Parts: sequence; C-alpha cells; structure tokens
Amino acid sequence: MLDTVESAAGTRVGAPSWGDRLLRVAHAGGLLVVIVLLAGGASLFVPNFLSPFNQFALTRNLGVDIVIGFGMMTVLGLGHMNLALGAIGACAAMAVGFGLQTLGLPIPVAIAGAVVVGALLGALNGILVVRTGLDSFIITLATASLYFGLMFILTRAEAFRDLPVEFSALGKGRIGPYSSYLLMAAIVGAGLIVVFNFSELGRQMLATGANRRAAGLSGVPVNRVTIIAHALSGAIAAIAGVMVTARLASALPSIGEDWLLPSFLAPLLGGTLLAGGYVSVIGAALGAVLLSVLQNTLVLLNVSGFWIQFFLGLALLAAVGMDRWRVVQTQKRGTPGR
Amino acid sequence: MNASILARMLRHDWLPLLLMAIAAIVVLALISASFFSNYNLFVMLRILSVTSLVALSQMVTIAIGQMNLAVGAIGGLVAILFGAMLELYGVPIPLAVLAAIGIGLLCGAVNGVLIAWTRINGFIITLAMLSVFTGLNYGITKSIPFYNMPQALKTAYDSYLGPIPMILFIPVLAALGVGFVLNRTRAGRHMLAMGGNPAAAELAGISVTRTLIFTHVLSGGLAGLAGVVAVARLGTAEPSIGADWLLASFAAPVIGGAALAGGHVSVIGTMIAVVLVILLENGLLLARTNPFYVQFFLGALILLAVMFNQWRARRTEARRASGRVVPT
Amino acid sequence: MSALLTVSGVSKSYPGVLALDGVNLRLQAGKIHALVGENGAGKSSLIKILTGVIEPDAGDIVLAGKPVRFSRPRESLAAGIAVVHQERNLIPRYSVAENMFLDRLPTRYGVVQRRQMHDGARRWLDVLELDVDPATPVRYLSVAQMQLVEIGRALSLQSKVLLLDEPTASISEHEVERLVGILRRLRDQGTAILFVSHKLEEVISLCDRITVLRDGQNASDAQPLAGMSKDDIVTLMVGREAAVTGLGTRTATPGPCRLELDGVATAAGHVGVNIKVHAGEVVGLYGLVGAGRTELAKALIGVDRVTGGHVRIDGRPVRVRSPLEALRRWRLGYVSEDRKGEGLILAHSVTRNTAITVWHRLRRAGGLIWGGIERAFIRPLIERLDVRTPSLEQAVGNLSGGNQQKVSVAKWLAADTRILIIDEPTVGVDVRTKGYLHRLVWKLADEGTAVLLITSELAEMIQLADRIYVMNGYRVVGEVANSHDYDGMSGTLMQIIQKDNDVRFQPGRAQEERGGQHV
Repeated sequence: MLDTVESAAGTRVGAPSWGDRLLRVAHAGGLLVVIVLLAGGASLFVPNFLSPFNQFALTRNLGVDIVIGFGMMTVLGLGHMNLALGAIGACAAMAVGFGLQTLGLPIPVAIAGAVVVGALLGALNGILVVRTGLDSFIITLATASLYFGLMFILTRAEAFRDLPVEFSALGKGRIGPYSSYLLMAAIVGAGLIVVFNFSELGRQMLATGANRRAAGLSGVPVNRVTIIAHALSGAIAAIAGVMVTARLASALPSIGEDWLLPSFLAPLLGGTLLAGGYVSVIGAALGAVLLSVLQNTLVLLNVSGFWIQFFLGLALLAAVGMDRWRVVQTQKRGTPGR
Repeated sequence: MNASILARMLRHDWLPLLLMAIAAIVVLALISASFFSNYNLFVMLRILSVTSLVALSQMVTIAIGQMNLAVGAIGGLVAILFGAMLELYGVPIPLAVLAAIGIGLLCGAVNGVLIAWTRINGFIITLAMLSVFTGLNYGITKSIPFYNMPQALKTAYDSYLGPIPMILFIPVLAALGVGFVLNRTRAGRHMLAMGGNPAAAELAGISVTRTLIFTHVLSGGLAGLAGVVAVARLGTAEPSIGADWLLASFAAPVIGGAALAGGHVSVIGTMIAVVLVILLENGLLLARTNPFYVQFFLGALILLAVMFNQWRARRTEARRASGRVVPT
Repeated sequence: MSALLTVSGVSKSYPGVLALDGVNLRLQAGKIHALVGENGAGKSSLIKILTGVIEPDAGDIVLAGKPVRFSRPRESLAAGIAVVHQERNLIPRYSVAENMFLDRLPTRYGVVQRRQMHDGARRWLDVLELDVDPATPVRYLSVAQMQLVEIGRALSLQSKVLLLDEPTASISEHEVERLVGILRRLRDQGTAILFVSHKLEEVISLCDRITVLRDGQNASDAQPLAGMSKDDIVTLMVGREAAVTGLGTRTATPGPCRLELDGVATAAGHVGVNIKVHAGEVVGLYGLVGAGRTELAKALIGVDRVTGGHVRIDGRPVRVRSPLEALRRWRLGYVSEDRKGEGLILAHSVTRNTAITVWHRLRRAGGLIWGGIERAFIRPLIERLDVRTPSLEQAVGNLSGGNQQKVSVAKWLAADTRILIIDEPTVGVDVRTKGYLHRLVWKLADEGTAVLLITSELAEMIQLADRIYVMNGYRVVGEVANSHDYDGMSGTLMQIIQKDNDVRFQPGRAQEERGGQHV
C-alpha cells in the first residue's frame, strides 16, 4: 500500500455530489417552469387551446419536432452539426413511400428499410468528415444538397400518394386526447438516454465531443465513434421522416425542407452545448415542447405565421442569452481555491 | 520538370479552378450551339450579378473564421424595403439604393454587436437573426411582392458603361472593392489576421470586437446590395429573394479555396467558383437534363472542391516541412 | 530610485488553483530584472496580468506613477508595455513586416503602405542581424527566426517596459549573445526590462536584480543579483527541500525487455533511435525543448507514424496504429505533457476521466454501464492516489494542478498498463504532489511496469531515472547510467547536448535535419 501523505483539512472522496446533478436539473427545471406557465396561460386565455382537436394536432407535430431535435442533438454531443438532417428525412420518406407503394413491402419492413437508408446516409456523412478532416458544417451542407438532389433524381420529384391505409393510420394513433407520436418520441428519447448515460458508446461520444485529442489518446476510437454518431443521427432523421410521411399520408419530396431551425433550436434551448461534450435528452424534448406550445399559441391567436418566425428567432436569442448570462454568473462566483 | 509546373499551378488557389471553368466552357460550347448566344450569356451574367455579391458577403465572414447564416434573410428584407421605398414612397432610385444598402449595413451591425456583446457563437446568433429578419420580411409584406418597380430601375440594370454591361460591372467592382479592403486596408488586414490566429491578433493589439463588427457590417452591406440587384433583375421586390442563397453563399468561397477556420480567402477563387457554379447550372439546363441534377452535382462539386483544397494544403505543408518549397 | 512599474499584492485564482497570492514586483528603469521560478510558480500568470490577457482578483499595478488596470492586451500595449510571450503569437500567412506592425500598419489615405512597412521592419531585422526578407510569410521561417521576429516586434515598439518570457528558448548561442548586447543597450537607455528564464547562467550574467516566485508567492522580493550564486537562486526557487528531493535510493531490478526501439525513424523526423526499456526500470529521456521527445512518444502510441526501423514489445515486432491499439493490445499508455489539452477532459468528472480507459471492461449485461459501476471501480484508485476532490463527480477542470495530474495518471493505472510513457509529470504541480508523483513513479517500476520518463527538469530526471537517454534534434545522442549525483550528472547530460550542438551548428554547415526547421 502506498504511503499516503497525512491528510490535511479538506474533504476526501465521497458520495456523488448532488450539486452537479442539481445544476443540470435546474436548467431543465427552468424550462419546465416556463412551459407550465405558458401552457397554463394558454389554457386559460387562448381559445381552443385545450380542445381535443388542438391537443391532438399539437402533440402530433410535437412528437415529430422532438425526434428532429434528437437527430441534431446526437451529433451536437460530438461537437458536430448535421445540416443534412432534412435531406435524410426526405430520402427516408421517399424510401418508405417507394417501399410501400412500389414494392408493396409489409409496413415494418418498409419502415426498417427507410431507417437503414437514413443510417447509411448518416454514416456517409461521418465517413466523409473522418476521411477529409473537414468541418462537419461544410460536409453536411454539401451532402444535404447531394442527398436532396439524389432523391429528386431518383423519384423525379413525384410524391407517393397511394400509401396503405394501415400506414396512414399510424399517423392517427391516439393515447387519450394526445397523439401517439409522443410515445414514439418518448421511445426514441429513452433509447438516447440509455445510449448517452448507460453505454460505452455514449461516453465515448461525449468524450470525443468534449476533447477529441484527449479522448483519442486515452484509447477512444474517435473515428469509429464519429461515424456511428452520424449514422445514429441519420437513423433518427429517418424516423422523423417516416413519422411525417404517415402524418401526411403521402411521401412528399418537400419533407425536411424546413427542419433546419427547429433541429437546432430544441437541443440548444434544452442546454445541449454547441461545442460538444454534453447533451440533455430531457432538455431537448422540453425545448421542443416550449417551441411547439409557443407556436401553437401564436397560431391560435391568429398571429401571422411570419411573425411567429420573428418571435422564434427572438426566443432563441433570449434563451441562449440567458444561458450565457448564467454561465458568466457561475464563473464570477468561482469555486474556492485550494 | 513536371513537378515544378504542378507546384506552381497549385500555389494559386484559383488556377485549377480557372482551368476547370475553361474546360467547362469548352464542353458546354460543344454540347450546345446556343451556349454562346447573346441570350444565354446574358442569362448567366444576370445570375452572376446577384450570386457574386452573395458569395462575397459570406466570404468576408469566413475570412474571420465565422459564418453569416442570415445572408439570404438580410437580402430579402432589404429587397422588400427597397421595393417599398420605390413603390410606396416614390423615393428616387439612387437614394433608395443607398438607403437599402444602409439597411443591410445596419442588419450586419446588429449581428456583429450581438455576437461581440454576448460572446455567443456567431452561428447561433446569425441563425436566430435569420429567423428574425425573415419573419420581419414576411410579416411586413404578408408574402405579397411589390410589383411596381420603376422602369428606370430596369433600364439602369440593363444599361452599359461603355462596352461593359452594368450586370458585369457590378460584380467586378464589388470583387475589386472587397479584394482591396482585404489586401490593402488596415481593417481588412486585421480581419484576416483575426481569422488566421485570433489569439495572436488580440495579443498584437488588434481590437477583436471592432474587427468583428466591421466584418459583419460589411457582410450585411454586401447582402443588402445583392438584394437591391436582385430586385432590379427580377423587376419585382419579392419577399422570397434570398431564400435559396445560403448554399451558394458557402459553396462559392469554399470551392474558391477559403478556409472555413478563417485567415485565408481568395476573391478571385470565389468569383471563378461562382462562374463555375453558374456554368454547371447552365450546362445542365442546355443539355436539357432533369433540373434536379443541379442540386446533386452542386453538392458533389462542393465536396470534391473542399477535398481537393484539403489535399493541396496538406501537400504544400508536407513539402514545406521537408524543406523543398522555396518561400516566395 | 523609484520603480517604473510596481506590482503590489496581486492575486489570481482559478477554480481549484491559487496561481498568485499577494505577489510583489518592482521594475526600475535602466535595470534588467530577472523573474525566476519553477513551472507553476506563477510567472506566466503574472505576465498575463501585466499584458492584459487576464485580470487580477486583487492587488495594484502602478506604471510611471499612475495606477493602471488592463482588461485587454491593447491597453497594456498602449500604456507602454511590450512583451515577447513564451509561445509564438504570429499570423502564419502574414509577412514578417506585417506581423511586426500588425497593430500599427502604416497607411496613407487608408491604403496600407507596404514599402514603408518593409523598410521599417528591415531596420529592426538588421539590429538583430536576422537575414530574412521582410516580405517572407512567417510560416516559412524556422522556430528561431520566428522568435527573433517577435523580439524585433517588441523592440520596434520602443516602449518603456519590455517583458521577455523565455526569449532564448529556441535561438542559438550566437543569437543569444546578440540579444544580450541589445538588451544591455536598451537598459543603458533607460528601459525597464523583465527577463524570465529558467537558464540561471544567463540570468546571472545578464540581470541586475531578481525576483523569485514559488508556489504563487514571492520567495524573494526584488533584490540585487550581485553576489548570488546559482545554488542560492535554486534554494529560493525550490524552498527548504534541496534540488534533489529526499526520496532515498532505489535499487532497480530490471526484468525482461518490454519495449525496444531498433533504428526507429518517424514521420516527425526522428532517425536511428535505439532505446530499450525493461520491466521494473525507470528509463529517462532527457533533452531540451524541441529535441523531439514528445513526438517520439506520440509515434510509439500510434498517433504519429513510424517510418523505419523496428519497434518491439516483449520481443515481438509491432505496428501500433492507434492509441486504442496501444492500450488494448500492448498495454502501453502515455501520460501526456499537456494535461489540460490532451491528458484530461476538463469538463468531465473525475469518474469519467479515470474510467475512460476501462469502459469496455466495466460493461454489464446488455453492454450497459452506469455511474455506480464506474465509481466503484475507480474509487479505490482515487483514494489511494489521495486525489483531493469534493466528489468523484466534480469536473476535473476544477481541481488543482496537482490533483489534475494525479487523475491524468490514474486512468492508466486503472488500465493496468505494463509500459507507461510519462511526459513532464510535474509541470504546474505543487511541491507536495510532486514528491508524491515521484514516489509513485518508483512504485510503478517496483511493481514491474516499464517506465519511460520524459522530463526537462534535470533535478527530477537525476532523481528518478535508472538510465538516461539524451535526445537532441530528433536523435538519441547519448546513453548514460544514472549516478544520482546532481552536479556530476547534470554536467554530463549538458555536455552531451552541447557537443552535439557544436557539431550541428558548425558555421557554414547546411541545416539539413527536418528541412531546416529547427534550432
């Protein structure tokens, strides 16, 4: 046994500090408070907010938005971006449409095929990033164009509108007054929680995102992890694409065109860091909830769709601004010296 | 012998691109007799007049190692406000143009100040402002374009300065201007220094804040100018102007040899890259292929170009390290 | 004579570390003032405060009679303080002239005047006798030339106060002589010069006064250098403990050869490296900054490429392609010299940082891991290493330097490595932890690990190593058994390097190694 130096005053190693856990919960908690206030206010003052129709539509769109947010969150943990999220979603939508309508595949097979397509496209992103060493921004910007283009070429921009009724029924599923899409989002979320908190891969992804060099030197297979993270992002994008297809009851080539902003907003609002190394699954989900409720409320109040976009932009600024302010405050207080 | 020719070729960012562009022109001329027709050339020049400004707008932000996601949004907002000034308030064209550029400068200033003040990543700020500006744009116009642009505007756009058409004059002038700023003015040298090594630039006494704001103001001004030219080209002030600028704004500088990390951009390379992209689209059009091929090939072109630039940079670095490259 | 620049009671702390504690410094005009101290004593924090890079938590700075406070480098420059930092701060694509005058670019009607700039630069290049075209992009220069460009830049500012942080680290003796001449002239003209260096011979021959820092405090206030010997200074730097920590002795019983380098060449530029490390041995790799030791380590663990020769582990020729392979297949680990940048993930917890090498072993059913398993595995290790942390979940960035270093070692212990390369283990570490880490190195060797120790600290090397290889210019230029006698060994090691440098720097001889990019 190594002789230890006599211990001076100062705590030794103890049980996990609840302080760290608390700080993370506080962020999510803050979001939750805002959401509760907003939803509460909406329930009271906004006509039709609580109507079953509205609640169903709201939660159905929310389910999709949460999954889109998860798709981006996965690579954000790595410190990367996936600008091809929408394009992959579109490709997956067309793939499932093709599988169902043209090939007549059974629904689970068609969906699985679409998810595989998404994973492969995502993996290609990852491989390009690793092989070229270039920024994921420019790579996925280029592949977004590539994938959208490929999809357009292969499908000649024709939608698949004759989808089996059982498939579109998926989009109509309910749990009480709410859409079953929430359940889907919850399942994806649970899966991501398992990956990021309870698996070696998740730890490796966060280590790579926080400090790639250190992770690599410590034996983390950073290249492999990067590719897997991008593949995962693609797969999740594909799930979102399939969800939208079911909701629309047709596979349209325009799916995914407007995913850029929500895909970033939700995780960033929820505390996921742009720089990588930390993700918050609950936070990303809550971020999407906040945005959806906000949007829904504004629509119900007959605010023009465009002013909504204006306010969403301001909301993002306010959110990251507050977050930044909080970080600065914590730094100013500092921790006690040795 | 061969090695040194290759080396000289690779030293300039834009030489391989120029060769590619020339090759593309040759191919296109062979494919279609109508390539060199006046009509076709003018179609391309008209696109060039707008796209070059968009590319330059993004390029200056890339120079300091940042991004301006709001390029298209600023362009669109300026476009409709320009249209409003002309149609609703009868502002004389030159004044309206100046005011519109001024609005672009202001938008850029807002971006720059927010980034400098909050120290939040420029990506997030400009992403948010993209939403804000677009929302303002559509909120004001309610999606309805301003249709009645004065004839004088169109005339000015189609006019000639001596033998040079205005639509060629604008991008060339803009490129010269930006190139001049980056190469020969203090502000420009500070910009590229900040992009090349932000810590060293700050330690050397450069005001990073001032440089940052200046860059975004310049970017906003160029984006605003692009919006004005787009209105002149279309003959209407449409809120959808700028909606598809984002990809092109990054594609051209990056293909042209810019380093996304900052510190190195090529004005000539960017301009040739814009030409290359336009040739690509034009070629696909003339060959009467599925227009959707454009997106696919554009993405492929970007990937190939950045990978080539990467290879070239690594090669130069390796040769320099082994002492075989003589400094110019 | 009143001081031109007075620093009083300056303190600065970071999370978990007290970098400066009530430090005083008085710089007088017309004097060259030495600032010495071990790594982690607080010298660079003090320089950063004086140059506006960081702000102090407490204390005053008075310059030419006026209290000042710098919140950015511009303000410090404007107040008349010029600095040459330890690390290079140049814009690679910019020319020598432009780097020199970056914040003072001469313009006429807004246009930068290149000729004027080049002429201005040439003037200072001539003073330094640096024969380089001012239009040359700085990235084509050698490390020594770059340092001289920065010195030229500082000189061109012609400021009242000149701070130099390890200005002679990368330049040859000839150039050092020239610099010394320039500094003496500046001093006679009334400039106040602060000279930070770990080369005590230089300090003694050049400087008039000296301030010694130790562990963030003044070990000596400003005092005249006259009459002080190197040992006096070292005693102040190191404290009551002698240059050699009282670790006692250790008889090494080397086992089988674990790691052998046979004529190894690397992509980084090494040639003909022959090294053997046996189980139970502490083998030292000594050399000055730039000798190529860390680069060799990086090649061994698979970050850089081995391009020639053979690397054998336990007698078998191996090809290590990644740190993952080094760790899992060959039980070879590397404790990085850059613990904040490479050795640790500062934002992550102690647990995560320590368990990172063994996650694959901690998996339970279904491939799952949870925090409890990690903590249970590493807790004994953390306790045994006596890492001071409020909890295992504390972010490593909040720990003190010494505790951080312990964590960065802990993860290799967790992985039970059989060959461990340790690179600069006690940089920025308090004295007590330093002693602890030294005992740990010996204990690891006693337990059978083959240890390759890289350190620039002579005292540490002579204390710990059984055998020492000397590296210079990316080659191994000597191998000696360690007598553990400080004066004898330090002389021997320095001589080996000196002799090699004499051969390398023969006037007129072409600079062949590594494409002329070295000094």
